Amino acid sequence: MNDAHLPVERLSIILGEVKEVRVTQKGPRRTRLDVAADALPALLELLKGRAGFVHLSAISCVDWPDDAQFELVYHLWSYELNLLVSAHTRIDRDPGVYVSVYDIYHPAGFFERDIHEMYGVFFEGAPDMEKFILTEWDGPPPMRKEFDSEGWVNDHFDWQDYRPDWLLELEAQGGGVMIPPDEQRFSRRGIEDNDDAG
Amino acid sequence: MTDTEQFPVRVEQPDRNGGNIFSRVFDELTAFCRSRSLFILHYCTGCGAIELPPAMTSRFDMERLGISPMVSPRQADILLITGYVSVKTLKRVMLTYEQMGSPKYVIGICSCTVNGGMYWQSYATAKKLNDYMPVDLYIAGCMPRPEAVITGLRQLMDKIAAGEANGWEDYYRRYDYYLGHQQRLFGETWQTPTDVIAEARHYGLFGPETLGDHTRLLEQHQAPLEALEMQLGLGAPDEVKA
Ligand code: SF4
Repeated sequence: MNDAHLPVERLSIILGEVKEVRVTQKGPRRTRLDVAADALPALLELLKGRAGFVHLSAISCVDWPDDAQFELVYHLWSYELNLLVSAHTRIDRDPGVYVSVYDIYHPAGFFERDIHEMYGVFFEGAPDMEKFILTEWDGPPPMRKEFDSEGWVNDHFDWQDYRPDWLLELEAQGGGVMIPPDEQRFSRRGIEDNDDAG
Repeated sequence: MTDTEQFPVRVEQPDRNGGNIFSRVFDELTAFCRSRSLFILHYCTGCGAIELPPAMTSRFDMERLGISPMVSPRQADILLITGYVSVKTLKRVMLTYEQMGSPKYVIGICSCTVNGGMYWQSYATAKKLNDYMPVDLYIAGCMPRPEAVITGLRQLMDKIAAGEANGWEDYYRRYDYYLGHQQRLFGETWQTPTDVIAEARHYGLFGPETLGDHTRLLEQHQAPLEALEMQLGLGAPDEVKA
C-alpha cells in the first residue's frame, strides 16, 4: 500500500480482504458497508488496525418492525484517510441480542448501554447494561416503534385548556390561538402517520 | 420529619373585614416592599434559559426593577422555570419549590411549561406545570425574548403589590390536588422531605382540600427520612473492565 493511492482506493484494497461485505460509495468521503452480523466485529478490528479507523463516533440503532430486525450502524472515522465509514448490520428483533464491541472500541460501552435502554437490545460482554439516562423510567424501551408515545402521554398527563375565558377576549380582538392543537396534531386529524420506518 | 411546631412563625392574615384601617395600610406597604425586592431562583430546565443572561445583564438589566438572582431556594422568592421540564427534572423542581420560604412565586417561561410545547408527544416531558405546583404567571413563547421576560416580571410585581399573587397559598389549601398529580406521574410512593401538611397547619392555611385520598396514600407509604450517605465516585476505569 503506498500513499499515492486515494483514500477511497486504500480503503477498498483493505476491504478486498473481507468476504461478503457490500460497499456503497455515498459520497467522496462517505462509505457505507453492509455486513452480516457475525462478520462485523472482525471488520471493525480490521478497519481499526489497518486503516486507522480509531474513532467510533456513535452506534445508532434503527428499528425495522416489519422485517422483525434491528439495524445497528457503527460510525467510524479515520484520521489517516479522512473518511467516514458507516458499518451496517442487522440482527433479529427477537431476542435482540448482539455482541459488544467494547474490547475493540471502549466508547462502545456508552453507546451500547444507551441502545439497551432505548431499544432493549442486549449486548453480550458489555461492561454495564444498567439504566443510563432513564433511571426513573420503568415502562417499555421507548424508542421501539411499537411504543405508543402519544398514548402514554394521554394516560399520564392532562392537557391545558385551550379556550379559557381570558383568551376569548383576546380572540375577539383578533389574537389568540389560531389553530388549536387538537386540530393540528396528525393523530387527531385522522391522517395516517406515513413514517413507517421506510 | 422536623417538628415545624417548634419554630415561631407569624402569619400575616390581612383583615378582610375592614377592621383597623392602619393594618391595611401596613399590608399594602408590605406588599409594595415585597414587590420591589425579589430574588429569583432560575431553575434552568430548558432552552429558554438562554434568554435570561441578557435579561439579567446590562442590556435589559433586571436589577433596575429590584430583581436579582439568588443561589439558594431558601432565600429566593421567585422560582423561574425556564423551559421544558422532564419528568426527572420535575421531581427536583418539586423538592426545590417545597423548600422555598413563603411567600413564593412561580413563573413558567416558555410554551413548554404551559402545555409541553413542541414536546407535547414526548413521554419524558411534563405538560402542564400548574398541575404540579401553583404557577402565578406564564410567559409563553418559544422562547420569549428578554423584553417579554421583563414584561412578565413587571406584571408579577404588579400582582404582588396588589396582593393577587397568592399561588403559594393554594399549594397549602389544595395540597391533595397537587399531590395527586405528582403521584400520578411519579408513582404512589412519591414523597418529599417537606411536611407540607404540617406547614399548612402552621401557616393557618389548612383547608378542607388540604387532605384527601392522595394524602392518605402518602401516609401509607411515607418512610422516615434518613441522611444520605456521602459518596465519592472516583472508581478508576480499570475497575470497570475487571
Ligand atoms: S418553548 Fe421552545 S425554547 Fe422554550 S423550552 Fe420549549 S422548545 Fe425550548
